[in-house]
Amino acid sequence: MKIEASLTQANPLKITKKQNLIIIGLFFLVLLSLFIGFLIGSFNSSFINFISGKASTLENNVLLQIRFPRVILAGLVGASLGISGASLQGLFRNPLADPGLIGVSAGAALGASIVIVLGSNLVPKFLLGSFLLPLSAIAGSTFVILLLYFFTKGFGYRGITYMLLVGIAVNAIASVGIGVLTYISTDSELRGLTFWTMGSFGGVTWPLLVPAVIIICSALVWIIPASRKLDLIQLGEPEAYRLGVDIKKLKYRVIFSSAAAVGASVALSGMIGFVGLVVPHLVRLIGGVSHSYLLPGSALMGAALMINADLLSRVMIQPAELPVGLITTAIGSPFFLWLIFRLKKV
Amino acid sequence: MIIIYFVKKINRILKMNLKKFIFLCGILLSFEVYGNSCEVAENSSRIAIAGGSLTEITFLLEAEDRIVAADLTSNYPMMARDLPSIGYVRALSTEGILSLSPTLILGEDDMGPPTVLEQLSKTGIDIRVIPEEHSSKGIIKKISCISKILGISNVAENIIENQINPEIDELEKLSKEIESKNINVMFILGMQSGSPLVAGKGTSADGFIKMIGANNIMSNFEGWKPVNAESIINGSPDYILISNRGLDSFGDINELYEHPSLMFTPAAENNNIIAMDGMAMLGFSSRTISSAREIGIRLMKEYED
Repeated sequence: MKIEASLTQANPLKITKKQNLIIIGLFFLVLLSLFIGFLIGSFNSSFINFISGKASTLENNVLLQIRFPRVILAGLVGASLGISGASLQGLFRNPLADPGLIGVSAGAALGASIVIVLGSNLVPKFLLGSFLLPLSAIAGSTFVILLLYFFTKGFGYRGITYMLLVGIAVNAIASVGIGVLTYISTDSELRGLTFWTMGSFGGVTWPLLVPAVIIICSALVWIIPASRKLDLIQLGEPEAYRLGVDIKKLKYRVIFSSAAAVGASVALSGMIGFVGLVVPHLVRLIGGVSHSYLLPGSALMGAALMINADLLSRVMIQPAELPVGLITTAIGSPFFLWLIFRLKKV
Repeated sequence: MIIIYFVKKINRILKMNLKKFIFLCGILLSFEVYGNSCEVAENSSRIAIAGGSLTEITFLLEAEDRIVAADLTSNYPMMARDLPSIGYVRALSTEGILSLSPTLILGEDDMGPPTVLEQLSKTGIDIRVIPEEHSSKGIIKKISCISKILGISNVAENIIENQINPEIDELEKLSKEIESKNINVMFILGMQSGSPLVAGKGTSADGFIKMIGANNIMSNFEGWKPVNAESIINGSPDYILISNRGLDSFGDINELYEHPSLMFTPAAENNNIIAMDGMAMLGFSSRTISSAREIGIRLMKEYED
């Protein structure tokens, strides 16, 4: 509906001046959030000392080894959840598509859990942490998206609620899988499993972060150029095909890049809900629906939101820590209700 | 459909017997469901125990031949592991316990769930919840309470006088020395969602650290909470205590030393992470006193030469 409205404008699929400004604004918001994230923490250290090189070794260590990787991971996960939410909503032509709601995150968690429980005997540990875990999480999320593809008859329009119902089923299946794994796993393996349900950025180190940075960044770079095609597919698949979009290729591109982004995020930070749903809608609300604006906008907005949510989780009840998933869900679930209410009216 | 049918049916039954129902509820509420008195039990020939420390004390009192079942936390002494299991102390099952036809159930204060205890008390079994206090005094109280219930206070008095009290005296001497050194300690139970789960005020581990004579650096919150890396570094623990189970949740001890939230603490830098059996430290049976002493001696090692 919105697409039709925007088609009457001069050149609807091209990024407008206002949208450009919003993206620049969001970019600075991310920079500001990064800065605040680096600045504030429960460890008292002065950022000015750090920049001028006057900080003690301990201060340096806390900032470089603990706070920086954590803030950067929060930003990356936020960006990847935001952009995969936006591109999945585009591909499914469904405003309620969210990696968490439709079971993609749960699939990633199941994939990672399988490796944690069953893989520790098969492969050396250093491999497990750095690459195998994200890769198996990605395999899990890819499997779920392909399953959704199958059940929605190639993402053909089957009603908004239909896909959510499939998502409920997929979520249930994944939680059964994780439950079974919890039951058969030993204590040492359980560590990872309890971690998936709430989500946290605690305990991340550079060696763990690097593979995720590579995977997430390449997924982002791969998906953003597809934005114009995502615009065209909103008109319907046959129309997009006649306008020269290679539908199959586009689908695989969106499927694999969102699966990679979500999988790598879930592998490092567990399931963090509702970011993929809320962020694209916020970005649409302030600037419009064209994907060449929406995709980068969602990535930036997601990053800023997540860095701040993690900041809250770190300092709100210090020295204890609030699970970041609790914060995002607290913000996101009322928004979800509002969205359903609004969709019903339309 | 089925649910609606049942709701209607229950409703009908309730309406018919509403007066009776209220009367029944009144009776149920007016009675104390289970007691925590230390009076001697009428029949303590078959005991089911929920709580590892109680099993340990019963063995200490040499009344182990009366135990017919114990819960999963009862893993010491080794012989206790061969007893029929009634499940985890907080998740007992009614029929599982009844199948062993105990005459007396001894439980720690976290025994549960409440519905199971209620069901059990309706069968007329004597259920006793042993009061818990996280100090040396609490341990003595626990031992004498159990001995009274079992009707063997004379055995307990003997053991307390000849075995427990001398040990407590030595521990107190040691803990006074440690107090003067002002040593910071943190207790980790395990890993939860990426952050270590740490003992705050009012926990059994807090009491244990006090028994040693050290400071619990995380005493500004209550209960067990996941704590973020920077706060741990802020507290700069000289020693970190962890239960063996908690250690398993990290992998092995080397991973613990390299964990980002611990690696910049004085404890990790000086190889001062101590892992020990959780029940031995936090069970608050007689074993807790010797564990506290053992850790206290380790803490004082630094000051010896």
